Amino acid sequence: MFAKLKKKIAEEAATAPRSGVRIPRTISKESITSVGADSGDDFASDGSSSRDDLPAQLLRRNDQIRKLEAKLSDYAEQLRIMQKTKDKLEIALEKQQDSSIKKLQDQNECHQASRAKVAEGMALALEKKDQEWVEKMTDVEKVYMEKASLSSRLEEMMEQSLALFQKRDDLDELEGFQQQELAKVKHMLLKKEEQQNQQDQELQLKEAEVQSAKRGLSEAKGKLQALEQQHEESCSLNTELEIEREELLLLREEADKKMSKLERRCQELQSVLQQVSEDFQKSQSMVPTLERSLHELQTEHDALKLQQQKAAVTEEDKERLLVDLQKKVISLERRLQGNLSQDEHLQEFLQEKSSLEQSLEETRAELLLVRTNHADTVSSLETQVSRMSCTITELQTLLRHKDDSSRAYRERTDTQIADLEQNVVESSERLKSAERQITDNQQHMDKLQGEWSAEKAFLDQQVCLLQQQSEEKASCLEESITALQTERQMLHDRIADLDDQRGEANSIVSQRAEELEQCRAELNSRQTVSTEIAKALEETRRQKEELQIQVGELTTSLQSSQQELSTVTEKLALNEEDIKTLQNEVQCLQASIVKLQEEVEHQRVQLEQMELDKDSQLISLREELLSQTQQLDSCQARISYLEVEVETLTEQLHSPEVCEEDQNGSVTVDDLDHIQKVNRELEQQLTDKNRTIKQLQQRLAELKRTLQKELKLKPEPEAEGKEKFPESRADKQERFCPELLPASMLSPPTSNTMVTNTSDLNDSREINFEYLKHVVLKFMSSRDVEAFQLIRAVSVLLNFSREEEDMLKQTLEYKMSWFGSKPSPKGTIRPSISGASTHWS
Amino acid sequence: MGGFFSSLFFGLFGTREMRILILGLDGAGKTTILYRLQVGEVVTTIPTIGFNVETVTYRNLKFQVWDLGGQTSIRPYWRCYYSNTDAVIYVVDSSDRDRMGISKSELVAMLEEEELKKAILVVFANKQDMDQAMTPTEVANSLGLPALKDRKWQIFKTSATKGTGLDEAMEWLVDSLKSRQ
Repeated sequence: MFAKLKKKIAEEAATAPRSGVRIPRTISKESITSVGADSGDDFASDGSSSRDDLPAQLLRRNDQIRKLEAKLSDYAEQLRIMQKTKDKLEIALEKQQDSSIKKLQDQNECHQASRAKVAEGMALALEKKDQEWVEKMTDVEKVYMEKASLSSRLEEMMEQSLALFQKRDDLDELEGFQQQELAKVKHMLLKKEEQQNQQDQELQLKEAEVQSAKRGLSEAKGKLQALEQQHEESCSLNTELEIEREELLLLREEADKKMSKLERRCQELQSVLQQVSEDFQKSQSMVPTLERSLHELQTEHDALKLQQQKAAVTEEDKERLLVDLQKKVISLERRLQGNLSQDEHLQEFLQEKSSLEQSLEETRAELLLVRTNHADTVSSLETQVSRMSCTITELQTLLRHKDDSSRAYRERTDTQIADLEQNVVESSERLKSAERQITDNQQHMDKLQGEWSAEKAFLDQQVCLLQQQSEEKASCLEESITALQTERQMLHDRIADLDDQRGEANSIVSQRAEELEQCRAELNSRQTVSTEIAKALEETRRQKEELQIQVGELTTSLQSSQQELSTVTEKLALNEEDIKTLQNEVQCLQASIVKLQEEVEHQRVQLEQMELDKDSQLISLREELLSQTQQLDSCQARISYLEVEVETLTEQLHSPEVCEEDQNGSVTVDDLDHIQKVNRELEQQLTDKNRTIKQLQQRLAELKRTLQKELKLKPEPEAEGKEKFPESRADKQERFCPELLPASMLSPPTSNTMVTNTSDLNDSREINFEYLKHVVLKFMSSRDVEAFQLIRAVSVLLNFSREEEDMLKQTLEYKMSWFGSKPSPKGTIRPSISGASTHWS
Repeated sequence: MGGFFSSLFFGLFGTREMRILILGLDGAGKTTILYRLQVGEVVTTIPTIGFNVETVTYRNLKFQVWDLGGQTSIRPYWRCYYSNTDAVIYVVDSSDRDRMGISKSELVAMLEEEELKKAILVVFANKQDMDQAMTPTEVANSLGLPALKDRKWQIFKTSATKGTGLDEAMEWLVDSLKSRQ
């Protein structure tokens, strides 16, 4: 046993100087910082990427990582410091151990010395010493045990620190992986962005192609439109030409008609001409007959002249004969004068003479007659001749005229015919030319149509082709777009995935950091534990010394604490009791509350009953009042009656005073006194009753006041019941007034004006509805400025409240202006929520 | 805010539209006058249940002319249109002697409105082409116009179907509106 001990001591002694010079283990600073330093700055360089969020986030993450790394380095430094302190502590521990070993050695030496000293003489004391030794050994063993435990702990700590280091290395590795991953991700992102850019460019190119195709399409459409326009123009030309053609055809028909007409006229004219020429011939044939007759007449006339001359000659002869006869008469008369006696002869002569004269006269008359006849015949013949000559001249002039006219007519007709023929020729030519034109045009048109149709077909084909191409292109593009979009989405997804990965990595990092922190914390705790252990080691010694004292103290303190505990338990018990009492109190209070509530309800019931009582009281008081007023009235009536009686009595009194002063004096005085007494009593009664009336009135007023208060407190259900009372009714009326007033304001003031009462209600309502419809329609369809003016009318017609009208105005103003915010709904258009309705009302 | 800007707008770009009401009993010729003023033609009209509103430009002045129906049952709604009115054209059927009293009472009721205190009153003694038409002075006296105080008014004899008198009345109205500004 001792040999072992010695060996150990020797070993310890051998190791002691070495352990004293042990250099504390240093941790390479570079390994930590170098790992931490290369992280971070990578993300700052690629901040130029198109996505703003990701780099920002990356930067943020990088910053966080850097911060974490800085923290990590701090922690590493702290760890180093801790390690140093640990080393120091280890050194201290070793020292302690050394010192303890030294002490042990000393003790051993002492023991050996004492053994050497007391070996012989202290056989008795050996056992004691042995015992002591045993004790000490146990102590030592304890110490050893402690040491072993401490060393095991230290080893554990070392293992832990190694594990920690490993963990940190793992973490570094992880960080490295993470950074690599991040770099990969960045690279992928950049690639994807480039791809995206390329695809965007492609897309743009394709869009440009699409646009160019669209442009081509639009151009083709334009061409098509131009062609269509051309077609329309040609169609219009065609139609115009057809119209022209129709016109020309019409013209031709007209010309034909004209020609036929003219021909007819020509024929007519020719017939007229023929007639005229026939007439002319006839007249010409008549002319010789007429001349013949004229000759005959002239010859007649000559003959008549000859006859006349003959007659004149005969007349002259007869006149000569007459003259001869007169001469004879004269001679006979001379003879008579010479032959005065021969009266008979004379008479005969005279008779003869008278007869002769008679015959002469007769002959004269005959001659005159003949002459007159002759003259008449001559004159008639002359007139005939003159007439004939006149007719001849007229006929000649007529003939001439006719000739002229016929010539002129013929010329005219000839010219007209020539003109018409020319016209006809021209029109026919024109027609021909027009027809030719038409045919040309038609040909042209046909050609154009053919060309157009060909072109149209071509263009249609082209358009179709273009459309197909464009559609294909569009479809291709759309496909590409969709592909690109899907790619983009994929990219987005990938980015999201990468983000997720990064997030996961970050979370891993954070987890690792947390773990690290935990480890550090653990380490710290372990270090603290180690320090504590060291302290404890130090203290164990002290404790070893102090423990006994402490034990004593502790026992005392334990006792005291037990005492305290007992007191505390007592207190607790007391407290529990208190609590119990308090709970009882609470229960009592709750019960009392319930009671109070019951009381309250009871009181409420009582109040209601009281109200009812008061109401009944009021009614009774009213009745009382009425009865008292009746009484009063009756009393007053009585008083007046009594006064009248008194007056009559006084009068009676006065009257008997005059005559029967002594007899009835005492009686009347007594009566008077009695009456006056009665009067006084009655007056007193009256005043009392007045007082009671006043009191009752005051009470009534008070009751009224209380009743009004109560009514104000709960007006809803009771108000209906107490409507019978005039004051409550007045109150009601007052309350209804503001409701009635706007209604009367809002309703059309038909009743106000005398003018508007004429139409019957039904008709006016119909008109009002129509008016409302019209106004609302106008309000909806008119400009904002006009609609603003119509708000009033609409709100009057639809009985809007002021609030709703204002809301409508605000809404319109908001619509008219460029600014402002939409006003919140009010009135009936607010959302019909039952719960929140109390807020608004 | 919007009102402020609109007023600024009006201040910057010309004058605002003048608001004119055409009122009168039913069958006085309000709608005919409105469209005579607007398009210069006589249109066939039906009784206006509601109103007509047109923008009339006269001597570079824009008028927003409201022709309100004059039926008995819808006359009470005139008061809904009174706000911001610059002038009132009151049309009277000069040949309708029986309803002149009703016309007067409606005019008086209208002129008592607070919103029309500043409005100019132009009375059109319409249907002057009829044989039994009253003269403008007779119409003015039967409407009680000479008794009006604090009111710028004028009466014109018009015939909407013939188109006489409308130009003079509008000239006077434009002048008085311009002078009032």
